[in-house]
Amino acid sequence: MYVKGVGMTKFGAQTDTTHEMVYEATLEALEDADFKIDDVEAIVSTVVNTTINGERQRGFSSILSSMFKKKIPIITTSAVCGSGGSALWTANKLDYGNVLVVGAERLLSNNTSLVTDEILMAGERIYEQAEGLIFPAQNALVAQQYMLKYGATTDDFALVAFKNHQNAYLNPKARFYKRQVTLKQIKKSPIVASPLRLFDCSLSVNGAAAAILTKEKTDIEIVGSSLFVDRLSAFESEDMTSWQASKLAAEEAYKQAGIAPNDIDIAELHDAFTPVEVISYEDVGFCKKGEAKHLIRKGKVNINGELPVNTSGGLKAKGHPISATGISQVYELAKQMRRQAGERQVSKNIEYALAQNIGGVGSTVTVHILRKVNS
Amino acid sequence: MIIRWICEKCNKKWIYPVEKCVYCKGGISKQKGAKIKVVGITKVSIPSPMHPVIPYNIILLQDEHGNRMPKKTMKDYKIGDDYTEQKAKSNDAVAIVKTKYDTYEAIKEAVGLVNGIGFGETDKILIKPSIVIAAYPYQAVNTNPDFLNALLLVLFEHGIKKENVIVAEQALIGSDAADAASKSGIIEICKKNGVEFADISKGPFEEVKAEGYAFNVFKEALSRKIINSPIMKTNFQIGISGAMENISRLVDEKTQRKMYFDDIDNTLPKLAKALPEVFTIADATNGMQGQGPLALGEPAFLNLVLASRNAANLDIAFTEVAMLQLPSYINYSYPNTNLKNIEIVGGEIDALRYPIKAASPHETAHPDIKVIDGKACPACLNLLYNLTSRLVGLRGDEINIVTGSVLSEDMLKGKSRLVALGECAMNKLKELNVEPIASIDERIDVIEQLVLLKKLLTTKGEPRITPVDRVKSKMKKLLSRVVR
Repeated sequence: MYVKGVGMTKFGAQTDTTHEMVYEATLEALEDADFKIDDVEAIVSTVVNTTINGERQRGFSSILSSMFKKKIPIITTSAVCGSGGSALWTANKLDYGNVLVVGAERLLSNNTSLVTDEILMAGERIYEQAEGLIFPAQNALVAQQYMLKYGATTDDFALVAFKNHQNAYLNPKARFYKRQVTLKQIKKSPIVASPLRLFDCSLSVNGAAAAILTKEKTDIEIVGSSLFVDRLSAFESEDMTSWQASKLAAEEAYKQAGIAPNDIDIAELHDAFTPVEVISYEDVGFCKKGEAKHLIRKGKVNINGELPVNTSGGLKAKGHPISATGISQVYELAKQMRRQAGERQVSKNIEYALAQNIGGVGSTVTVHILRKVNS
Repeated sequence: MIIRWICEKCNKKWIYPVEKCVYCKGGISKQKGAKIKVVGITKVSIPSPMHPVIPYNIILLQDEHGNRMPKKTMKDYKIGDDYTEQKAKSNDAVAIVKTKYDTYEAIKEAVGLVNGIGFGETDKILIKPSIVIAAYPYQAVNTNPDFLNALLLVLFEHGIKKENVIVAEQALIGSDAADAASKSGIIEICKKNGVEFADISKGPFEEVKAEGYAFNVFKEALSRKIINSPIMKTNFQIGISGAMENISRLVDEKTQRKMYFDDIDNTLPKLAKALPEVFTIADATNGMQGQGPLALGEPAFLNLVLASRNAANLDIAFTEVAMLQLPSYINYSYPNTNLKNIEIVGGEIDALRYPIKAASPHETAHPDIKVIDGKACPACLNLLYNLTSRLVGLRGDEINIVTGSVLSEDMLKGKSRLVALGECAMNKLKELNVEPIASIDERIDVIEQLVLLKKLLTTKGEPRITPVDRVKSKMKKLLSRVVR
C-alpha cells in the first residue's frame, strides 16, 4: 500500500467531540490526497476512551457512517496506546483500493485522577491495577531496571524530554508549540513515580489523525508493516528492559522492507515515557543493547543529527491522544519525506522512515517503514 | 507469595491459573516462591480513584525461580532487601490478603498469617456463610460458592473430616433459605464436597445468656466450632454487613426480632459473647457496595480475603480498607476500639485503602420514598425494600417511612408525611405522640400494603385503605393465583 494523504487536528485541549475531530483530520487527509470521500472504499477507525469524556458511545463505526454518509465496511480496532499503529496495520492488510485510517481521543475531558484511571485500564487488573501500578509507575520500574543494568541516568531521560520539547516548539500541531521548556525545568519537575518526573511523561491531550492508504502508486510506499503482541505485564518478561514485541515487529518490518536498521533516515518512536524512547532505540536496532544512552548524549537523534527521532515532538511534547498517536506518527513522517515540515524540516534527504507505536508496556507493538518513491 | 502455574511436562509458565498446557496438554502444578527479594522500587506521588492515599511505594518482588510480582506498600524498602510477611503475634489480629486469581491460596495465606484456624482434626465444625436472599453469585449478595469451595478444601487439607462439617444458614426473615442456598450456588458446593446444608430456621434452638440477655441459639452452633464466613457488604442500617452481622442469623426468628427491637448495636456484641469460639474468614473477593442487596447495591470487586478470631476487629479493618464509617455497633458497644489497637498482618491498611460506595441511611429503592430507620428487624426491612422497589418509576410526593423501635424525636425532626411501617414503629410513634399520615401493618396482605403505599405516594389525601381498595387487592391476588 501507499500513503496518499495525511491529516491531523492540533493536539491540545479543544472541546470538540471525538467525531468532530475525526471529521477535521479526515478533511485534511482528503485534501492532502486530492480525494473525495466517495473514493474511500473502507475505513479503519480507532478510539479507546468512551467513558470519562462523557460521550458514552461505543458504536463508533456507525457514527463515522453517519458523518461521512458512507455505507461501506467500517471497522473499529483497539490496542490501547498502540491503537493507531494497529489500525494502520489492519488497513494495510485489507483488500481495498483506498482505505481511510483514522484515530481520535478526548483525554483532556475530565479531572487528572479519572484520566489516570482511564489509562490505568490498559494495565493488568489484579497484578497491576490493584497494586497501584499506574502507567508512570509501570514505566518507572522498567526504567529503574534499565538504569541498574546499563548505567543510564535520569539525565539521559531528561535529554530525551528536552530534545522532544525543542522539536514540538517548531510543530504547530503540537501541544507545546512555541512553548519553551528548559532542561532545568525538566530536571526540576516534580517526581510522579520515582525515578520518573513529570517531564518524563507524555501528555494526555485531545486530537485526531487520519491517513489515506491506497494501492495506487504514490510518493510514499509502505514497505514494512508488522504487529506483534506480547504479555500485558512487563514483570512477566524475563528481561524487562527489552520488549520482545518491539524487537519482533522491527525485525519483521525490516525483513519486509529488505533493509537494515542503519538504512532508516528518520523515526517516530513511542516515547510515552522518556525511558521508552531510550529502550526503543535498542529494540528497533538503532544501537546495541545498553548503548542507547550514547545516541541521546551525543545528539545523534536530534533534529539535525544522524538519525532524527521524534521531530514532531513525540508523545512527550506533541501529545498522546491514545488512538490518534500511531497515525500522527505517519503524518509527521509523510510531511518530513515530502519536505513539508516547515520549521522542523530535517535537512537530510529521507529515503526510509520508521514509525513505532506501542500499546501498554511493550504489549502490542506495530512498526511501519515508509519509503520515499522518487518520481 | 508469588505463584506461577507451570506445565509439568514442558515447563511453560502462566501468571494466571490454567487447567492444562495448551502446548503439550501436560498437567499443571503451582510454583511457589519462598525466598523473596526486592528487586525494584518506585514511589508514586499522584493519586487515582483506586489509590487515593499518596505517596505510596510499589516494590518489585522476585523469588528464587525468577518469578516477579509488584506489590503496593507504604513501607520503605531498598533494592536487595528480603521480603517476608510477619505472622500475627496477638490472638485478635486481622489478616488481609489480596487474591491473585486463586481464592484457595489467599484463604490459606490468610489463615496462616493468623497462625491457623486452631481447630483439630476431630473437631465438629459449622460453617456459617451469608445467604440472605435468593440471588446469583455475580450479584455479590451471598457468600460466593467458589469461596466456600476453597474454604472447604483448606479445611479438608487440615485433616478435618467432611462428615464433621455442616454449612448452616437461614435467609433474611421473609425469604426462603432453601431457595436462597440453591440460587446462590451454595447447595451445589455442599453436595460436591459431601457436606450437609442445614437450614437454621428449622432449629432446634437452645437458650444461652450473655450479660443477662437471652438468645435462642441454633443448637448445632453450640456444640461445634464455628467458622463465620460472611461476604463483606455495605448495609444502610449498621454500616456494613460483615462478620458481626452474619452471626445474628445463628439465632431464631423471635430472637432476631427482639435483638433489633432492643437495638441491634447493643445486642449484637452480646451475642458474640454468648457464642462459642468463632473464627471468621470473610469473603471480600466480590463484596457489595451501595445500598445493599435489596436496593440496587452493586458488586465491589475488592479481591480480598480477611481472617480473624475477632469478628469486630475484622469489621473495623474492612471498613478502614473500604473507607467507610465504622459500623454503628462498634461506636456503641466498643467505644475504645480503634484501628490503632488492632494488629493487622498481610496487607497494610493504608496500602489497601480503596473507597467503595457507602450505603445512604435514608435511601430506598424509590427516589421519592425515604426511610427513617429505628433499627428495624430484617422482616420489616425486607418488606420495605420489597414494596419500594415495586413502585420504582412511579413518581410522587416524598414520603418518609418510619421503621423499627429505636426512634427518637430528633430523628423525626423536620420530617413530614411520616408513614409507620410495622408494629414496632406504630407503637413507638404513639409513644412519642407523633401522628403519621398512615400506618402499614406488616401482617396485612402485601398487595394491600402496596396499594396503600402507591396511594400515599401519588395523592396527598386518603391515607387509609378503603373497602373498595380491599376488594380490588383481593381480586388482584386471586387473578395472580389463577395466572400462576
